[in-house]
Amino acid sequence: MQQLLDVALFNSMFRMVAPILLAALGGAICSRVGLFNVGLEGFVLVGSFSAIVGNYYTGNVFVAVLIAIAITMLFSLIFAFISIHLQANVIVVGISFNFLALGLTAFCLRAIFHVKGAFYDKNMIGLPKWDIPLIQDIPVLGGIVSGHSPLVYLAFLLVFVLHYFIFRTVLGFRLLAVGENPVASKSLGIKVNRMQYLAVLICGLLCGLAGAQLSLGQVTMFTEGMTAGRGFIALVATMLGQANPIGVMASSLLFGLMDAFSIRLQGFSLPTHFTQMLPYIVTLLAMLFFRRSNYLADAQKANGSSR
Amino acid sequence: MLKNRFPLSAWLHPLLAVLIGLIGGAIAISLIGGNVMDTYAQMWKGAFGNTYFLTNTLTRATPLILVGLGVSIAFRAGFFNMGSEGQMILGALSSAIVALYVPGPAMFKLVAAILGGILAGGSWSAFAGWLDAKFRMNLIITTLLLNYIAALFAGYLVAYPLKDKSGSAALAQTMMIEKGVWLPKLFQGMSIHAGFIIAIVLAVLLFLFIKYTAAGYEIRMLGYNPLFAAYGGVNRGKVMLTSMFVSGGFAGLAGVVEVLGMQYRYTDGMITNPGYAWSGIMATLLSGAHPLGTAIASILLAALQTGGMGVERNTSIPLEISSVIQSLLILFVTAKFSYTFWKRRKGGKDDAATS
Repeated sequence: MQQLLDVALFNSMFRMVAPILLAALGGAICSRVGLFNVGLEGFVLVGSFSAIVGNYYTGNVFVAVLIAIAITMLFSLIFAFISIHLQANVIVVGISFNFLALGLTAFCLRAIFHVKGAFYDKNMIGLPKWDIPLIQDIPVLGGIVSGHSPLVYLAFLLVFVLHYFIFRTVLGFRLLAVGENPVASKSLGIKVNRMQYLAVLICGLLCGLAGAQLSLGQVTMFTEGMTAGRGFIALVATMLGQANPIGVMASSLLFGLMDAFSIRLQGFSLPTHFTQMLPYIVTLLAMLFFRRSNYLADAQKANGSSR
Repeated sequence: MLKNRFPLSAWLHPLLAVLIGLIGGAIAISLIGGNVMDTYAQMWKGAFGNTYFLTNTLTRATPLILVGLGVSIAFRAGFFNMGSEGQMILGALSSAIVALYVPGPAMFKLVAAILGGILAGGSWSAFAGWLDAKFRMNLIITTLLLNYIAALFAGYLVAYPLKDKSGSAALAQTMMIEKGVWLPKLFQGMSIHAGFIIAIVLAVLLFLFIKYTAAGYEIRMLGYNPLFAAYGGVNRGKVMLTSMFVSGGFAGLAGVVEVLGMQYRYTDGMITNPGYAWSGIMATLLSGAHPLGTAIASILLAALQTGGMGVERNTSIPLEISSVIQSLLILFVTAKFSYTFWKRRKGGKDDAATS
């Protein structure tokens, strides 16, 4: 147990949790307006690819992050247009956006960088690691909390920003109203479509950040399909957290811990297959215990009736 | 859930979507400086150019049809079965195990291997259905998670206990199945095998089943209007379990034909890497869960994929162009934009913007 639980484990948990948390927050805000966004995986993938492209051409990490946000938001705008304006089934649109992202990034990888599979350039510089002045000197806590990329801190900051936004501001209440009952909110003069667009765009922003953290946070490279199911895990985190930012943070931390744990367990003689299985099994078990998120289904139904 | 409002649009819609997909592909091709007409000509040649390429396309379409049929049953009953990949993997693995380790004459082994695969895929899928019916766990999420678990479990089995130690040590695969248990090839020297016939026959049977039988009617009713179905005495849990079992059984069978018809062993990643299951799901979406349409859509998607390989062989355009076209196609086939959209446009611009 001593070897399993140490400072480095929790440190890597925070690093791994950031992309999942950011995407899950995006999913949460989407589900708050009644759009169940299965396309998170694709959004994050687009974000991580555009972050690399931005980094390669501008040479500036922060500009790269901005480019990732911009392109992912553009991508999410198309998602919003098809699912809100053209009234396609949101789940189907989500599935096809995952494929579009997978195909498009692989295609662009070949078209822009002329490589297949992965792109790596040693001149590219990833996100810096920030040491927090006072905290880094505290023995255990410092090792865990300090020394992450700015996006990791931003992710946790955004949890509280979003919580405040959803539950304490007028605009947030309008978003909630749209998800609860579109017909009633329309009768109050809330522009339902505009609220849904807003939510999807915020989701795009968050997923862009998630992608940037994924491709620039640790290794500064892009691999085809590098999200590897994190978007789906984020989706589960959204549901487990009942689309509540604090809850989403808690469930994301659980997955981050499992993720870090499974990598750690590989050092033991267990076959890697089983350690990799751990996060999915824990997710299933967690779903079994926290399954009171029926409001999601209600929101979807309410959404359908407004059409 | 995937109903079309006008009979005409049942055909118009997919065709329009195909057109949009091809236009989107053309934009992508010209953006990276390729010749659009030349690329599409190569794609056509790669998919249908001669008998060899044509049979290749049909072979690739075989598992897609079977997966697609399975998913369409679940869709018709109103469930999104996203777990075809895991079900297909377990089907393939079980049929390989049965074919290798069950004693008896070859013919008996063949039947047992097919049934074993169907049973494994079906049970895995029914398990997800049971979790939903009993514990109200979201089916989309559980089926997705079960995919990963199945893939890793199968990976473990072929990497350790069932590994073929006679061949190269680098490959995680089972031993080769003996020749008598193989599905027969339809033509000498071509890849197409009896699995294709099975798939087409099942497509027709499923079409008749859904259209003309009472059970098929129950499934459709549950999908269109669950409340009305409950009022009409349809037991949601029971229909869900059976339709999920059949759905997964089809996916399992898709895995079986890949093992018994093509590879003759289970190799790690043989299902996941070509993305068979997901293409099958896409075929279902493209056809609006119509069994015969699913077969046609599967052949179309398989043609895009084999055509993409032709493009990569003969031009500088990467083969991922097919996945771009594919996903655009699916996106637009689900959008209800043909009539309703233009109508609303005409009716009043405000309506579309504010509703």
